Amino acid sequence: MTLEFDRSIIGTEFDRTAFAPISAEEIRVYASASGEPCPAPDVAPPTFVLRQRGDRFMPANIAKLGRVGFDAGKDIEFGVPVRVGDVLTAVSTVHDIYEKTGRSGSMGFLILRTVLTNQHGEQVALIDQKMMFR
Amino acid sequence: MTQAVRFEDVDVGHELPALRLTLSSAAVRDYALAARMPAGRFTSEEAARAEGLPGQIVPGNMSLALFARLLATALPGTTLQRLSATFRALVHPGRALVVHGVVTEKHCTDRGDLLECDLVIESADGDRWVTGTATVQVSGVRGRGSATGT
Repeated sequence: MTLEFDRSIIGTEFDRTAFAPISAEEIRVYASASGEPCPAPDVAPPTFVLRQRGDRFMPANIAKLGRVGFDAGKDIEFGVPVRVGDVLTAVSTVHDIYEKTGRSGSMGFLILRTVLTNQHGEQVALIDQKMMFR
Repeated sequence: MTQAVRFEDVDVGHELPALRLTLSSAAVRDYALAARMPAGRFTSEEAARAEGLPGQIVPGNMSLALFARLLATALPGTTLQRLSATFRALVHPGRALVVHGVVTEKHCTDRGDLLECDLVIESADGDRWVTGTATVQVSGVRGRGSATGT
């Protein structure tokens, strides 16, 4: 099966979400559940950034890619740490879309990029999520 | 307090002491809720089966958190700069996990002294469920503009 791609969506912003100020309780609960230590008091563990997902997870017209989608992986570049009281904004774009053909047939890959910044305009994280479709 | 690791004390090939754990269904649910991932596949055996999955699954984000936990424990005092993971298979609660890694490169750069690591989450039988890589900065020492590694 050949998958349908619309590469014109590359670069399209599909979500922009501003979050409420980060509370000490949110950080405490996340650190407790993940087992990941806080680097300092009032500073969130690094992977806390994964929690700050935008309201819209996927671009609206992604259904054409394939029948079934999987989360294939993530790549995070960390910037300044998240602190109690930070007001974060997540902006998500379609970073890339391509097809690969293997022994099991055609697979589509979609890379969604989310850039998370704080109230000072500093980059907190750049997160690439790779989705695989077949 | 755990003493911070020193760049000169870590060699390429240094194996990070493994984390061995079995995630309970409740621990996975608690993570999913704390991480704002309330989908049934992460929080309930029944809901996961209703979606056609063999059972409740561990969110990929939790695998990244396990990698970060390993690095924080094995390389104390370092700062995580980059972390990536490839999800090769579904990870389920109730199964023994081994989270381990190895230092593959050392670099002295203008961004500081950096360690590159390969990371794995695998079953007790050695089935690799998640693989990853990380870059950590060793704090307190500035780079000297040269690089060493494999």
